[in-house]
Amino acid sequence: MAVIEQGVQAITRPSRWHRAWRGLATLFASKTAVIGLIIVLFWILAPILAPLLTPYSPTAQDYKAQNAAPSAAHILGTDDLGRDIWSRLLYGARVVLVILPIGEHFWLPLGTAIWGVLLGLIIGATLGLMGGYLGGWIDEVVMRLLDAMMAFPVILLYMIIIAAVGASATNVVLAIAIVGTPGIARLVRSLTLDIRTRDYIRAAELRGESAFHIMFVEILPNARGPIIIDAMLRVGYAIFAMGTLGFLGLGLPPPSPDWGSMVASGRRYILSGSPWAALWPALAIATLVVGLNLLADGLREESLRYQ
Amino acid sequence: MIPDYRPRVPILEVRDLAIAYETRQGDVPAVRGVSFDIRRGETLGIVGESGCGKSTIAFGVVNFLGQNGKIVSGNIMFQGQDLVGRPEGDLRKIRGDRIAMVYQDPMQALNPSMRLGDQMSEVLIVHRGMSKKAAEAKCIQMLERVYMPDPANVMRRYPHQISGGQQQRVVIAMALLNDPALLIMDEPTTALDVTVEAAVLDLIADLQRDFETAIMYISHNLGVIARVADRVAVMYAGAMVERASVSDIFLRPYHPYTQGLMRCVPRLGQNKTDSYLYPIPGKVPSPKTLPTGCIFEPRCAFARPDCAVTRPPLREVKPGHWARCLFAEEIAQQEWRPPADFVPPSGEPDADQRDKKPILRVEHAKTFYTAPSKRLFGRRQYVKAVDDVSVAVKSGRTLGIVGESGCGKSTLVKTIVGLETPTGGAFEFMGIDIAVPVARRDLQVIKNLQMVFQNPDSTLNPSFSVGTQIGRSLRRFNVVPPQQVRAEVIRLLDMMKLGERYYDRLPRQLSGGEKQRVGIARAIAGRPELVLCDEPVSALDVSVQAAVLNLLLDIQRQMGTTLVFIAHDLSVVRFFCDTIAVMYLGQVVEIGTAEAIYAPPYHPYTEALLSAVPIPDPRVEQSHVRLSGSVPSALNPPSGCRFHTRCPHKLGEICETQTPPWQIAETGQRIFCHIPIAELSKMNSVITMKETSNAR
Amino acid sequence: MLVRDYMTRHPLLADPNMPAVEAQRYMVEANVRRLPVVGDGKRLLGLVTRQTLMVDPSKMGSLNVWEIASYLSGLTVKDVMIKAKDVITARPDMTIEEAARIMVEKKIGCLPVVEDDVVIGIITETDLLAQLTSMMDLRCSGVRATVRMPANLVGGLARLVDAIAAQGWGINALGGSVFPKDPTKWDAVIKIEGVTKAEMIAVLKQIKDEEIIDVREI
Repeated sequence: MAVIEQGVQAITRPSRWHRAWRGLATLFASKTAVIGLIIVLFWILAPILAPLLTPYSPTAQDYKAQNAAPSAAHILGTDDLGRDIWSRLLYGARVVLVILPIGEHFWLPLGTAIWGVLLGLIIGATLGLMGGYLGGWIDEVVMRLLDAMMAFPVILLYMIIIAAVGASATNVVLAIAIVGTPGIARLVRSLTLDIRTRDYIRAAELRGESAFHIMFVEILPNARGPIIIDAMLRVGYAIFAMGTLGFLGLGLPPPSPDWGSMVASGRRYILSGSPWAALWPALAIATLVVGLNLLADGLREESLRYQ
Repeated sequence: MIPDYRPRVPILEVRDLAIAYETRQGDVPAVRGVSFDIRRGETLGIVGESGCGKSTIAFGVVNFLGQNGKIVSGNIMFQGQDLVGRPEGDLRKIRGDRIAMVYQDPMQALNPSMRLGDQMSEVLIVHRGMSKKAAEAKCIQMLERVYMPDPANVMRRYPHQISGGQQQRVVIAMALLNDPALLIMDEPTTALDVTVEAAVLDLIADLQRDFETAIMYISHNLGVIARVADRVAVMYAGAMVERASVSDIFLRPYHPYTQGLMRCVPRLGQNKTDSYLYPIPGKVPSPKTLPTGCIFEPRCAFARPDCAVTRPPLREVKPGHWARCLFAEEIAQQEWRPPADFVPPSGEPDADQRDKKPILRVEHAKTFYTAPSKRLFGRRQYVKAVDDVSVAVKSGRTLGIVGESGCGKSTLVKTIVGLETPTGGAFEFMGIDIAVPVARRDLQVIKNLQMVFQNPDSTLNPSFSVGTQIGRSLRRFNVVPPQQVRAEVIRLLDMMKLGERYYDRLPRQLSGGEKQRVGIARAIAGRPELVLCDEPVSALDVSVQAAVLNLLLDIQRQMGTTLVFIAHDLSVVRFFCDTIAVMYLGQVVEIGTAEAIYAPPYHPYTEALLSAVPIPDPRVEQSHVRLSGSVPSALNPPSGCRFHTRCPHKLGEICETQTPPWQIAETGQRIFCHIPIAELSKMNSVITMKETSNAR
Repeated sequence: MLVRDYMTRHPLLADPNMPAVEAQRYMVEANVRRLPVVGDGKRLLGLVTRQTLMVDPSKMGSLNVWEIASYLSGLTVKDVMIKAKDVITARPDMTIEEAARIMVEKKIGCLPVVEDDVVIGIITETDLLAQLTSMMDLRCSGVRATVRMPANLVGGLARLVDAIAAQGWGINALGGSVFPKDPTKWDAVIKIEGVTKAEMIAVLKQIKDEEIIDVREI
């Protein structure tokens, strides 16, 4: 049924800034989203400003202060090699969300987790669009392939991939992408199946548009809402996976401050009265994942509220 | 006559009701100052276009306003007791026992995972504490009352196993099980086919007579309101603008909006001139930006300076007739003239047309779908969606295809346009064979054969602006060089009477009518020779329909485009189709000029369709031909004449065994029937004007 | 002529927890004398009338003004109603004369109509009176005649009707009852339109054993 006329308000489409502001207004309207945002922003900004926030280098070892408790000198204490935990957390966070090191000298902005999810999005979205729109045997083949991948327990899959190609940041990105692809593909496929029935897709077909155009130009932009929210959650999962890999010894090679491996090496000292080396990294992982979840949840809630 | 001595308390009396919705930007008033009453045994029709607040009133009465709706002020007196402000427990009891509601979609009231018998008995077992057996017996009785064939069997079925019309009957039966004093019906027949709708409306009238229920009937379809209502209230932008008896509203309306509505409703008039549609200029104001004076003033042809300043109250202009207009009495006397820029559609065939070859020719078209087979082995079954259809249309003319759901008209159109692959038959367009899917067609052919879709909400891509989408068509078909695309888009927008300021708008900022116009602009951007319109106005409000239909005609006149127009009822196509084809279950049963179709001789199905269409004119006398049964499945269509299972004029065995011949009537139409033309010509015209004399 | 066709459907109903004062106001505003009290599913729980709401002063003898007021305001309908088992009701498939008999015998003016314990309507003496006027076809004009015959005369009414039919006239209303003042006599009332008083008298005079009591033009 027709919608009530808006009247002659906006003569032109609102500018980009205006739209961005409106999007942010949605975000700020939800308390959960705001809390999530604060946490995530903290873990993005703090690593960038790391040199300002801590005088210690993450690899500087101090034999005189091993497994020290939090004190004025070391805010969060030290690990078994006397390295300051706080600075290790900050510099360790860089790899996660801020920087992706490629090889020895290169780096790209946006951390490992984000790149992993992005790559997974690209592959997964393509597969999902193809399966959903083209249907037929392509759909069957793609889906069965993805089913096979999803049959593996996630951690096992990660381990297999890292064991096969070695542990480095780029390989972790690859692993995250491979593991995330089936879920994203399924989501995109179900969105595509729904959008495919719309009349504007028929209209595009009637213009003789190629399948590629229809999939990526007509369908994909309309699926972006759920995909974005899902991607945010997946960054959380990726961080969690990185932590687990690090814990199992498959993360970044030492001495780089990988949170997971920090927990692994600090684990031995928990019962002997120095839980700090294990506690703080674990909490860091937890807060970051929770923050991302809250952000995603809050956004989803707000976007559904006035439906 | 014995004066009415019964208790004077109306079943429902609403006084000055105001309802608002909370949004992020504040409270939006949805309904303001609405007052009306309904007595027992009476039907009040509430009519208005989308967004006018009519459903909101219903939800307010039953307190289903949702989280963000609230009743701001006013009283809702149900049998003398105010419902506003009552605790939820009391309201629930009243709602359960004494008020019932029927919605447009029967699946909103039916649980898809419970058997119908269980659902219906639940009402009685829970509310009245009846035993299961007694409840079931009563339910079967109720199903018989609503003329459900084989009620005992229906009790054991699930909702998806019965047709839409039957589902709605079950819902009505459930609503009446508790003998409610008030029955609220919100567009209950809008989603049904015309012939099914006619049967359900008959049922409602019948039941009301017996149960003496007060009915609040909400609809945007003026024809249906003319058929069911005793009194009518007209809503506009949240306020009630007129309230009177049904004949007063349709024949002597006082408010300019009501008068405007009556002029844009398609009526099955006696001749084509009676059937012109005059749209109401302007658009409905948003509830956030209402005019300060009379809310209809910006669109009113009779507006005066006072109108923009004072908000008129609802006053009694004559006994029993209320209108919200300061100058209602004077307006009623004035003559209305169409606005200066209105050009009536001509539609007269030119002499030189007769020899021209048709631009589109379809012969013995067949489109079958393979049905998902229920068995592992065995013969495949086919859904014969289109079975041996032949139509042709000449350049610059308009062909109308009319039929109910399941008749194959959408499939036929999709096959012509290439979205479906035909199973057989010849399809020729501009001399080129187009019996191939669209992906394999030449770009020139694609450019010349475009389509306008039914649902305005899904016809535009929500992520791109209007200008981008129309521009895409232009670029794809290389209509103009790239630098001129924007200018051409603006030219098209002007042709659609939208204008340059729509260039950057997103679809969600447009109303239904505007979206449909953009869809049309997109379709004609490439200057196609033939445009297929799949029910382009059925999802639009009445006043917007008129504007869009007139626009299509304008385009045809300016660009010489050929139009194929699909509709589900015969009143919409009356005034601008040259040729009309009536389809039933995959076949054409009657085809002829627009003049000929509406007068006898009729194919029996055409006669039933014409007598089912609700006509918004209480003076009209309509035959009462109703079809029994429902449309047979296209998997296994009846042998011989496919209509024989429901035909009121069935001859006998010949109808079941032999395919009917094509018979040609004097007036040129062809009828697919065994009954000889002489017999068919003797049928009475379905629609006649009532005698107005009072002689006995 | 069953109660189901002449009753008023969807009568005004009261909830048992409604305060008595409010019920009183409701009855006054709606101008009804009786309110059935219903529970879930409109099952009859009791009946309140204007009289049951009048409180017996002897019950409140010792209370002072304030206590009386608070007692009254605390009264709900279920405290003052006549309980369901004591309420006299009619069934929808009863004949209206049966309903009338109950009303006469029990001296009550209206009866709730109940089916399977559920209140579906109410029938009042006014309904029955309205029916009487309809039975005698008050609305149209014509000649109304009263003819008296012996109560045990078999075929007396048929004779009367034959005489009318022989004239080719149609009968608008026909009824009769025992003459109250003399049980051996039976009065038939007949109404015919489109004839004159003289014509009617002429025809009726012919009938044996039947005495014309009254002929008038209405």
